[in-house]
Amino acid sequence: MHVVHKPSTGKRITLALFIALILFVASNFVDEYRIFQGAQVAAYLVGIISIVLLTGFSGQITLGQGAFMAVGAYSAAIVVQEFALPIWLTFFIAVIAAALFGAIIGISAGRLSGPYLAGATLAFAVGIPALANAIPILGGEQGLSFDIGFAPGKYADTVSPYKWLFWICALCAIIAVVIAVNLTSSGMGREWRAVRAHETAAALSGINPARSKVLAFTVSSGFAGLAGVSFSATVGLVSPSGFTLSLSFLLLTGAILGGISHISGALGGAFIIVIIPTIFEAWTEEASLGVATYLPGIIVSALLLLSIALAPEGPSEALHKLRHRGHRKP
Amino acid sequence: MIRALKNRVRVGAALVALAGLVSSGVSAQAAAAPGVTKDTITLGMTSAQSGAASPGYNKVGPAMRAYFDYINEKGGVYGRKIVLKLEDDKYVPTNAVNKVNKLILRDKVFALVGNLGTATHTAALKKTPIIKQGVPDLFVNTGYSGFAAPKKYPTTFMYLPSYIMEAKIMAKYIKDKFPGKKVGILYQDDDFGKDGLAGFKAAGLTFVAGGTQKYASLSQATVGLTAQLTALKTSGAEVIILFGVTSATAVAMRTAAALGYGTTWGPQFILGSVGADPTTLLTLAGATTAEARAATLRSLTGALSLSFLPAATDTEDEYVKKFIEINTAYNKGVAWDNNVLVGMNQAMLVVQALRAAGQNPTRASLVSALKSKGGTFASAAYSKLDSANNVGFTGYWVGKYNSTGVIAPVDGGKPVVYTTDSSTANGDVATSTFVRPAMPADGVPTNS
Amino acid sequence: MNLLNTLIAGVSIGAIYSLIAFALILVWRSTRVVNFAQAGQAAFSTYVGLTIEKAVGNYWLALIGAILAGVIVGAFVEVVVVRFIVKRATSAATATVAPVIAMLGLLGIFQGVMGLIWGGEYQPYPTAFAREGMSIAGNQIPFSQFDLFVLLTVVVAMSISAVIFQRTSLGLSMRAAAFAPEVTRLSGIRVSRIRTLGWAFAGGAGGLAGVLVAPTTFIAPNSFDLLLVFGFTAAVIGGLDSLIGGVLGGLALGIGLSVVTGYLGGSYTFMTAFVLLIVILLVRPQGILGARGARRA
Repeated sequence: MHVVHKPSTGKRITLALFIALILFVASNFVDEYRIFQGAQVAAYLVGIISIVLLTGFSGQITLGQGAFMAVGAYSAAIVVQEFALPIWLTFFIAVIAAALFGAIIGISAGRLSGPYLAGATLAFAVGIPALANAIPILGGEQGLSFDIGFAPGKYADTVSPYKWLFWICALCAIIAVVIAVNLTSSGMGREWRAVRAHETAAALSGINPARSKVLAFTVSSGFAGLAGVSFSATVGLVSPSGFTLSLSFLLLTGAILGGISHISGALGGAFIIVIIPTIFEAWTEEASLGVATYLPGIIVSALLLLSIALAPEGPSEALHKLRHRGHRKP
Repeated sequence: MIRALKNRVRVGAALVALAGLVSSGVSAQAAAAPGVTKDTITLGMTSAQSGAASPGYNKVGPAMRAYFDYINEKGGVYGRKIVLKLEDDKYVPTNAVNKVNKLILRDKVFALVGNLGTATHTAALKKTPIIKQGVPDLFVNTGYSGFAAPKKYPTTFMYLPSYIMEAKIMAKYIKDKFPGKKVGILYQDDDFGKDGLAGFKAAGLTFVAGGTQKYASLSQATVGLTAQLTALKTSGAEVIILFGVTSATAVAMRTAAALGYGTTWGPQFILGSVGADPTTLLTLAGATTAEARAATLRSLTGALSLSFLPAATDTEDEYVKKFIEINTAYNKGVAWDNNVLVGMNQAMLVVQALRAAGQNPTRASLVSALKSKGGTFASAAYSKLDSANNVGFTGYWVGKYNSTGVIAPVDGGKPVVYTTDSSTANGDVATSTFVRPAMPADGVPTNS
Repeated sequence: MNLLNTLIAGVSIGAIYSLIAFALILVWRSTRVVNFAQAGQAAFSTYVGLTIEKAVGNYWLALIGAILAGVIVGAFVEVVVVRFIVKRATSAATATVAPVIAMLGLLGIFQGVMGLIWGGEYQPYPTAFAREGMSIAGNQIPFSQFDLFVLLTVVVAMSISAVIFQRTSLGLSMRAAAFAPEVTRLSGIRVSRIRTLGWAFAGGAGGLAGVLVAPTTFIAPNSFDLLLVFGFTAAVIGGLDSLIGGVLGGLALGIGLSVVTGYLGGSYTFMTAFVLLIVILLVRPQGILGARGARRA
């Protein structure tokens, strides 16, 4: 074992605070649309982290992360509507509710693997949002309002709603990143990876694979719940059509493109899925609405396919390996 | 260990990159009137250009653009050409928020025109700067009465008569012509449908037990409407109102046919105005063969519907005649129908509003011009545009489909137009005395 | 009477789920890949059929065209994409998820390309048969000539497949290649060619399913996503390795969903599929007819 400097949680938090400061300053210099997109990136980032944890670390594929996001978002919107709780509290409730749900699903689906798990999460992804139409309290297809409102007190007039939105989403994202990095470098993260790499070997070394998988489902869903509530904050609304199969696929795509085995990859992934459509909108004029609508999807999908073929663990991992190889040369 | 440190550095670097990207979008201060230059006025619109609710409605935006192209060719509005940015929200509220944000914040449009959909536009009003920036929000293509709220939505103006008005007029007609009959309804389970229900309730129309059926928006294409139509049949309803989007009407009619409508089951169908375009219904029925066409027409024949514009097939009408000419010349071979008529008429109102806003329009001048002069604008509609109160048109006539899919006034002759308001306190429906302004020469408004 | 109606409706939609399940199982058996792009392939083939229908106005020519398009696209996907991916991706730590994700990427490409060519509008697909419910003893039932045609077509297609698999040497090679590729290769059979054939066959089945379901659901680039979800659910219920299991799974799912939709409402339909799937997997992990131990893929 090398004796290396291991960053402490304290240092990570310092770094996070520093980044938060940069984002805070930056948000005062940019146009509102960019701020809005920044908030979207932050929301997607958390969603992708939830996939990286489950699929990248614990090795369980999920095609239904959108459903856990929906659980979180609906829980938040309901407590606001029914009990008029303060907004900040709803973020915690969203996380807890989604995590509980994840535990329940994990207990049943965690026993499955490969295509069976993919199938179960897929059915889950289309099943959950549709329930909103069956249960009156969930507001049907039109959904529930979820408004994070304005900055408090005297800042309400000076801070634009977009900035306020961005700050909240970015704060959630930073907290999520710090927690995720800490988790994955902890014993729990190592357990997950051990189970992913070799279940039997992990079991022999005293890890309970079933427990580890359910735990991964629970934690991952908690993150998804946070993503769901952030995502709903950006649109001010929780509705079934906000949590479609395409959202689940998009997040998985982002996770793969960014690099499924690292938390840091999630940010790259979130950028790609927000920015690529924007780039195309910029140079496809409205005369070719079809091109602007479909080309980004084709490009993102093609990138996904290429990345699976050429760098199955994502570009960041491929680069990492490349660098590593360089180091080893005498 | 090392990896954790690298992780930390990587996360840090990536977050700094986020900050960098965010700050790259620094823009210049917005001009006094965004979207207006020396030569152009840029307008924005979001609608269902694709997706389950899109059939029919996706022709409205292109029709508006065709009319603008025509006006641009004739010199534009005080020399400025109109540019229409058209976005696709698929009738999904979340998308609508993103698209309207893009139109206002990035494309910096002068005004929004003809945004379509109740749930979509409710979301957009809540979470985009329409109100905050005072963006004129003209001729929202929905009849949700809640949008005509000058205090809450000072810049939002409706286009369609409200669903409450429609329901009140429909209710009066049903009570007059089908007294004592059992009535059932299929409505879209959102503010669109609920607005209609409020109107029926206000007018004192009651539905037979089991005859109040709803469907979730967009579900018509995935789960179908068999359960709802079966329930309506079981309820014994003799008059059935279909109060949904066109694609839902199409699925409902098809399902009704499967349940024996036209052979062993003969309720009177009444179609809400938004879901009643015969061309779209025929297209959706897959009527590419003569037999399929005949089958669809069989199920449409005798159905009643409400309309505030002349029938698209009424080629004697001066508006319809001119719009057909423009459609042929400027709309790239798009088949003429009700939706094109809606779009052209809407575009003509927009042009008049822009003219009324003056030589150097501002967002405020556009809103106040529309408020004070909207009621005098030329339009194909048979009722008055109540822009003074942010309301759309205010009347409907009742028509019946014949065996060729053409709608004509139910009692023959000229359409009898009924008018009312969106109040749920009373059900007063009166026969309209409105006299429609003449079509401007050559279809080019010259108002000021 | 109402229950009977519901069951009949369930059988006719279940038949279509069976077809999709059949296509997915065929591919799974030959390549160990769940073909999520099947939804895209089927929609693409159906659009080809629709284009033919619009050009020449012949339903049967369009049907054949769609099946052929499905066959060609299926073979193309296997030769151009799948071989490459499966070879490259199996070594990585993400080996179990890589094929699934690759197929999702392919699905995205298919849907984008369809959008570019045919637009995103929901288009109707015509039928050659009446959609009005037939009358039995004076009672109208929600089962039309068209539904009968769908059911018969699926039965015929399945019977032909069964004959090919059980009674021909080609079928024998396909079964052999699926269960023991190495041994099969040693016995002189070109396993890769057999594999391509499996994908082509599955593609054709998808095209057929598309044409059969499109008159009910309309056709749009992503309108078959749900069909895929249900087809896959049916395949898993059946055991993923058993073609007959998949067919039975499809029928069971069709009937189950139809009962739920009819009695509880359409909003519960999708959740039912999930619950059904989980319950069956927990009670009988190998599916209705799956081989024991196949669950850990």
